[in-house]
Amino acid sequence: MTRVGVLDSSNLTGGQRLAVKYFTVALILFGAQILFGLLAGLQYLKPDFLYGVLDFNVNRMVHINAMVVWMLYGFLGSVYWLMEDEARHPVVGLKLGEIAFWVLTLAVAVVVLVYLFVQYGPGDIKTIWFINEGREYIEAPRWADIGIVVVVLVFYFNVLATFMKGRFTGIGGVIALDLLALAGLYLAGMFFTPNISVDQYWWWWVIHLWVEATWEVLVGAIMAWGLMKTLGVSRRIVQTWLYIEVALMFGSGILGLGHHYFWIGTPDYWFEIGGFFSALEPIPLVAMVVHSLYDAGKHELKSSNHPALAWLIAHAFGNFLGAGVWGFMHTLPQINLYTHGTQWTPSHGHLAFFGAYATINIAFFYLAAQQWRGNVYMSAGIAGAWRWKWALALLSIGVLGMTMSLLIAGYEQSFIERAIEGSTWAGYFKAQTHPWFMQAMWWRQIFGWVTAAGYLLLVWDLLAIGAGETRTATQVGHESEQAQAGAQAAPAAA
Amino acid sequence: MLQPVELHDFFITFFSAAMVILFGALYAMLFAWGRLHGRPKLVWWGYAAYAVLVVSVLTLADATHLTGFWTWLVVAMLVGYLVAPHAIWHLCEGTHAEPAQGEGDPRSAKAVPPRRA
Repeated sequence: MTRVGVLDSSNLTGGQRLAVKYFTVALILFGAQILFGLLAGLQYLKPDFLYGVLDFNVNRMVHINAMVVWMLYGFLGSVYWLMEDEARHPVVGLKLGEIAFWVLTLAVAVVVLVYLFVQYGPGDIKTIWFINEGREYIEAPRWADIGIVVVVLVFYFNVLATFMKGRFTGIGGVIALDLLALAGLYLAGMFFTPNISVDQYWWWWVIHLWVEATWEVLVGAIMAWGLMKTLGVSRRIVQTWLYIEVALMFGSGILGLGHHYFWIGTPDYWFEIGGFFSALEPIPLVAMVVHSLYDAGKHELKSSNHPALAWLIAHAFGNFLGAGVWGFMHTLPQINLYTHGTQWTPSHGHLAFFGAYATINIAFFYLAAQQWRGNVYMSAGIAGAWRWKWALALLSIGVLGMTMSLLIAGYEQSFIERAIEGSTWAGYFKAQTHPWFMQAMWWRQIFGWVTAAGYLLLVWDLLAIGAGETRTATQVGHESEQAQAGAQAAPAAA
Repeated sequence: MLQPVELHDFFITFFSAAMVILFGALYAMLFAWGRLHGRPKLVWWGYAAYAVLVVSVLTLADATHLTGFWTWLVVAMLVGYLVAPHAIWHLCEGTHAEPAQGEGDPRSAKAVPPRRA
């Protein structure tokens, strides 16, 4: 029997229970990301802080790795969350999925402990295998790399088998194909080459193509399901748009990879390829404004889960500003010559990752919290609604504030270090100690604390929202699935 | 060949780049809103926003020396930003036009009994 308003795992299906585990670890890692970001930020202001104990490079590494991994946990959890509903079949290989979850979580814990307590190796092959592979953002040692691929393959098997035994929808088809690319592309960051240009060439396949292709597509599929559930948008519409999005993403996103090849020793033609396709990347984002308004105007925005909908809206704005505006401002090689490697990049990165990915994961955390409490009512007038609203506000203001602060710091660096001082070592320090840079870094730290406050409120709200509520949610998902079953059972041609 | 931006053009480069995206969005927004509610004046304001976008693209092109091959980028941006909202509008109309069999008005969905998500 469904217990409303109480956290009860019997309210969840097998896949959803596994998803909640992924979400829990994701939320913890989100906290780790913020904590180590705060420590690294403080070291800009007080360089002696934790010097020799937990150096800046270690804090920064854990900050970024925690972000990558919590987003992945969020995506994997989201897919487990929607899979049974979408395939109309229990997860095939649920036990295998459980084992893979614990193996991955244990591996992540060991890797973080090694990062924090061992930190360095002698730089030989043992270091690559057991301590740190040395590739920025994907520093995980080789054994963990192999583990990640195995876990993703197990996950892939579960997804594919479940959809094959149940029904293969368009969303299921896109997810299945995308996961293959997700696992495959990771291999590009796993082999060693002594040539730094060649090494960077392949490394960007993981960094860029994961983020701007496979993650975007995965988020598109997750978002499509989320829109059906929170707003009751028709399956036919979301799937059509999902295919369009996939086409647009691969149209400009893949060759947009070229903007990372400007300065790593690759041939000059990458200036033209990278500049051209990167500059065109925002056009689909801008065009989607039309679609958002069209849907908002044609349908009443009635949602069964207000916090989740609010985070989905934050996703649309954050993605547009972070990826679109902040990305385009420094994407052309003529200006990227000066901005590349300065605080411009983190400015763009903070807003784009938050807008495009963190928001959608948080939306799913709220969907999970709702179902975990027995599909509890989470619309207008819920008790303690101030918590989710303030969490949303503080996290958004915090990230926007950090973005603006880093933008000022990056502008100053491009100007002084790059343009005036000609990228010299002296110019680097001159820019790093300039009052504008330091002031910007103080502001970044202050907004970092605002973000941390938002995070704490978010955790509190996720644990408390819906507690004691006795009403159940109004189901807005409008599909009369039985009637449509025949039409949609056809295998996806995605 | 690549000719880097001059020092005195830094601000105008960043500013005009941001304006391209923001006025692109404003054009798309006014265009969609105007057509959705049958208000042609808003559509014309949308085209005015597009005119600002054109000025921004040309300013950006001047500041970043987009000549030779790069002229194609300027053309692609001008055409892309102009045409994309129209294309998406037509796609919206196409995808929302005829509900599939068995698919009713989304607003009637509230009648569907709650189902475990």
